[in-house]
Amino acid sequence: MKHSFIDQYSDRDSFIHQLDPRTKFITTLLFILAVVLTPPNRWLVFALYLFIIAVLILLSTVPIRYVLKRSLVIMPFVVLIAIFIPFFKEGEVAGSYNIWLWEVTVTYSGLQVLANIVIKAWLSILSLILLTSTTKMTNLLKGLEQLRMPRVMVMILSFMYRYIFVLVDEVMRMRQARDSRNFGGKRLWQLRTIGNMLGTLFIRSYERGERVYAAMVARGFNGQTRTLNRLNFTPADAYFGVGFSLILILSSVFNLLY
Amino acid sequence: MHIPDGFLNIATVATTCAVSAGGVGNAVRLANKKLGEKQVPLMGVLAAFIFAAQMLNFPIAGGTSGHLIGAALAAILLGPWAGVLIMSCVLIAQSLIFQDGGLLALGANIFNMGIVASFSGYYIYRLVTLLLGNGRRGTLVGGFVGAWGSVFLAAIVCAIELAVSGASPIGVVLPAMAGFHALIGIGEGLITVAVLSLVLATRADLLQLQRI
Repeated sequence: MKHSFIDQYSDRDSFIHQLDPRTKFITTLLFILAVVLTPPNRWLVFALYLFIIAVLILLSTVPIRYVLKRSLVIMPFVVLIAIFIPFFKEGEVAGSYNIWLWEVTVTYSGLQVLANIVIKAWLSILSLILLTSTTKMTNLLKGLEQLRMPRVMVMILSFMYRYIFVLVDEVMRMRQARDSRNFGGKRLWQLRTIGNMLGTLFIRSYERGERVYAAMVARGFNGQTRTLNRLNFTPADAYFGVGFSLILILSSVFNLLY
Repeated sequence: MHIPDGFLNIATVATTCAVSAGGVGNAVRLANKKLGEKQVPLMGVLAAFIFAAQMLNFPIAGGTSGHLIGAALAAILLGPWAGVLIMSCVLIAQSLIFQDGGLLALGANIFNMGIVASFSGYYIYRLVTLLLGNGRRGTLVGGFVGAWGSVFLAAIVCAIELAVSGASPIGVVLPAMAGFHALIGIGEGLITVAVLSLVLATRADLLQLQRI
């Protein structure tokens, strides 16, 4: 396993890392809910949320550059979905351009909607990055199980987390082999190669799944998984959870009043 | 097609979350009842397979690229409810690990790429195999049409959710999403066919697994 891209900084030891995964998951969910529910154009509230996230990232000792880089990888997809909005929203015209045969108009209200969506998506993405880079995936899954996520899903996710690395290694080896054999040419031909690669990968994954199951049964697997690490909810979790929720409630009340 | 947080309004978030929770709950119930413990590691490895397969991008017109969704493939092999379960796990992992798709938007994403894509893919496939027979030709044609249909329908539902939330007018987002994904669907279809034909050639027994 050469790439720990998944929960890269989750083995550090900060205040945020020590919080119970359940506390972190629920506060992240509340935070995203508060962000999504914020009415448009409350720039002050958005600034407050950004400030909270920035403080938490600083507390967590996860490098800010890493968080920003991760969030910027996703943002192009967000902008791609949202890019049409300013051109089609009705309202006061901000500018009108002739692109070849089309007359394109951009409206102020459209630009505002775009800005709101992009900032909301960005804040949510930052909070999710904070969650996964301060929580080990195994602990997060254990927390989710105790928050009543169905056992079968937790188990599928645990197997998935375990085998993603193996399969990604496999994909990279196949990709290297493909590229070293002059991969290219017509699109249809590329699809055929990719199809064959995925077919091979599928058969290999399936057979690996069979071997894994046989190995587990040989070691006494009967549908239960047992782990040694226990989660514990400490006073720090209670303080953090209550404090964080209070800030969110106050800002929501502020939103309603003004 | 992964919707981030911030695009959907709260009514759409609540509706899709409720529908997806019901669908996933039923899938879990059926899996517990009908599938043995043997299928759990298998579904986990298959979910990891779909996750890894989504890393291989294929080129589409105009410099853009798409990647496999995999719902139709999972549903054809293990049945639509198992497809829902596998795709939900893939989408949860993508949202948590890569922030690809939001956390509150998970309900919508599971509905589009899990429920709609699995069921449409599976039943289109079944319809074609009913018409053409269960042989190699029926399986491959069914796989292609099912995979294409699953991507296309999921994109349409996704466009409707975005339009209902006021993120984009329906007259723009629907043709854009439908047109773009009609192209991506061809890639999905061809890859699904390639996987199915390789499975038929080497491990034909995998097409006779217990389905839910």
